[in-house]
Amino acid sequence: MTLHTTIVKIEEDKISSDEAKKFIFSKENGAESIFIGRVRNKNSGKKVTAVTYDVHDKVVMKSFQSICNDAKKKFDKSASIFLEHAKGYVPVGEISILIAVSSGHRDEAFKICRYILEEIKHKSPIWKKEHYAEGKEEWLPGHSLRPKEEIK
Amino acid sequence: MEIQLKLYGSSQILSDTDTLNIQLPNNSNIEKLRNILTKIISEKYSKSNLENLPNTAAFFSEKDEVVNDNYKLKDKEFISIIPPIGGG
Repeated sequence: MTLHTTIVKIEEDKISSDEAKKFIFSKENGAESIFIGRVRNKNSGKKVTAVTYDVHDKVVMKSFQSICNDAKKKFDKSASIFLEHAKGYVPVGEISILIAVSSGHRDEAFKICRYILEEIKHKSPIWKKEHYAEGKEEWLPGHSLRPKEEIK
Repeated sequence: MEIQLKLYGSSQILSDTDTLNIQLPNNSNIEKLRNILTKIISEKYSKSNLENLPNTAAFFSEKDEVVNDNYKLKDKEFISIIPPIGGG
């Protein structure tokens, strides 16, 4: 098996980089690239305490599989990919997304990691609500999936 | 007719639960649904910064596929509202 994708309910489980490293290890692949996204403590001048991730589970899982398979076809068919994304309330400092890739050479490993991240931002229905130290919260703007020709 | 709208992201403010039942004239399409949502937001949620949501949101059918403005809604249909996305 060379592909693992899942949504992790943070109240029940954690995203683990050790698990990712074990999964992508292969004697055939000489390069490993790991991207870890964490909730940071500030955004647009506001002190952030946590982010809540809302996820359309079924469509996100389909999109993860499709994005990763596209990445393999495009860059390296023998790449191993581990992708996990958080769902629910994630405090500052905790992991929100982890993409780990092993491939034949470094260039492909870097490119696959970047490709997956950018595609998720444009194709996977996931939403972020930031929680601020002052007590307020706000859904962040994003990329519309409405057909472009219809947007007024 | 009535549809059930499953709420995601910022649209969750429109209900205390994760769905919102919306009454529509028979033979309504997605465009009509957008107009009704615009009305609901301007009447009840004018301070919530959601004025542009009906224009920027996509809608998924029960098959989880994006449907365009001409898509005819059926009575009791389950539709999801998909506000602009931004994971990662």
